[in-house]
Amino acid sequence: MCQLPCMAGIGLRASHYQQVLEQRPALGWVEVHSENFFGGGAPLRTLRQVAEQYPVSLHGVGMGLASPDPLDAGHLRELRRLCDAVNPASVSEHLCWNTVGGIAINDLLPFPYTRDALTHVADRIRQVQDALGRRILIENLSYYVAFRSSEMREEEFLTELVARTGCGILFDVNNLFVNAVNLGVDADAFIHGIPAEAVGEYHLAGPSLMDGCLVDTHSAPVFDEAWDLYEKALRHIGKRPTLIEWDVDIPALEVLQGEACKAQQRMDAVGFTNANYSVRGELVEP
Amino acid sequence: MTHWTHTLAQFSSVIRNGADFAPGEIICPNYSVARGVEVYRNNYRGNLHDTLAGAYPVMRLLVGEDFFRVLAKCFIEQHPSRSGNLHRYGGEMAAFLTHFERTRHLPYLPDMARLEWAYHHAYFADDLPPFDLSRLASVAPDSYGDLLWKLHPGCTLLTSDYPLSQLWLAHQAGVPDAFDINMNEGGEHVLVHRNEEGVELIHIAPASCHWLLRLQRGLPMGVATEATISDYPDFDLATALRHYLAQGVLVGFDIAGEEG
Repeated sequence: MCQLPCMAGIGLRASHYQQVLEQRPALGWVEVHSENFFGGGAPLRTLRQVAEQYPVSLHGVGMGLASPDPLDAGHLRELRRLCDAVNPASVSEHLCWNTVGGIAINDLLPFPYTRDALTHVADRIRQVQDALGRRILIENLSYYVAFRSSEMREEEFLTELVARTGCGILFDVNNLFVNAVNLGVDADAFIHGIPAEAVGEYHLAGPSLMDGCLVDTHSAPVFDEAWDLYEKALRHIGKRPTLIEWDVDIPALEVLQGEACKAQQRMDAVGFTNANYSVRGELVEP
Repeated sequence: MTHWTHTLAQFSSVIRNGADFAPGEIICPNYSVARGVEVYRNNYRGNLHDTLAGAYPVMRLLVGEDFFRVLAKCFIEQHPSRSGNLHRYGGEMAAFLTHFERTRHLPYLPDMARLEWAYHHAYFADDLPPFDLSRLASVAPDSYGDLLWKLHPGCTLLTSDYPLSQLWLAHQAGVPDAFDINMNEGGEHVLVHRNEEGVELIHIAPASCHWLLRLQRGLPMGVATEATISDYPDFDLATALRHYLAQGVLVGFDIAGEEG
């Protein structure tokens, strides 16, 4: 059995590979985007070296769990192979779609939270978990449009997915913050609505305000309001491995470590360890 | 199609083609629906543009950043992404450029696109276990002609009418800005290949290219070698075989008549 240590980690991007491998800074764990390591060569070699030093979380951005098209068997096979190669402490995907009618939109797209969609997504999470032989975490999305045809809220959809598939939840606190600002999503209802024991990881990042819309750019320090939500989550849900994500205008590694340090301080000050949270990377029961 | 999947098909069209959602479909309490949709349209174009810029860095230098943006926009309109893995996006660039009027004055550009895609392909190609030479020792010498060699899946052989690898090299980081390449000095054969050190562009002899291409097409070594020697009488099989085994270009074989 393996899982991430209940500490703060950082999203590791190419600009910091060399520094991290040479200096081996104190980081609880690191997360990378799975697709960047599909295939072989230098990227995979680097990740193997990183995985020798740090627990690694594989975070997928391209599976498109809610796409109407059939799951991309090749994509799933590549993910399976990557898991075999680096033995990640956690594997996660987003609650989103990316492909319809054979055409991909390489983004994390929202969909109406309907009962039909729930059946479809649950089925595909099972397919992924069966192929990987492990539970995965599903991340709540930041989105900029909401659908009138939704029959439930995102937290209800996630709760049902957990019940039907045994998956865990990756609670992206910044995504919730962005949705609360943009679309008036009730953040407290979300925090209280998801099953605490299913939450296996938190994400934190900084968005950008552009033309009246808060865009989830992962390009800035975590906003104060998102820290407040994080503290609420720590109090209600408990301490979990927490990631600082930064993908655009990536700063010096020390800046990321500083953000991770702030998360760690809050975990230490506020969070309780909910010892029986149940999201672990073990084999899924048949 | 159930209602929610219909909504996604519509959403795709809204993002890619500038279509509109059905009235009342979307809720945006704090800004217009158009503003919300704009985030997705920007992401779509931006992600694909950045992917092309990453795969075609030399082409981008050759045509300039501003024009590359125009070119990428036209490419994206004609070639949507087909995979959730962005590393697979952009392979049709050379074919696209062949018909793109606005770069017709740069006739070597499609070849450069081919070269850069080959580099990109090699960079992300799968790792293979090293070839076990003892397997070759177990083949009876009179069966050598029946060997069906497999080339490393990351290998690409290119033939250009232009000194392509020189032009590519001149645009790599750390190379002095000033260079003097006569684009009319003649073409070359290039093998793009990844070894332990990384991706390499190897200028190869016409005979080697002729031979490797035939092996890559699945011809038995005997047939390929005869064809090559008939065009290039000086071709030396033993040297070529040793060389491309050592380079990791030849990574395995079947024997004709025994495969499967």
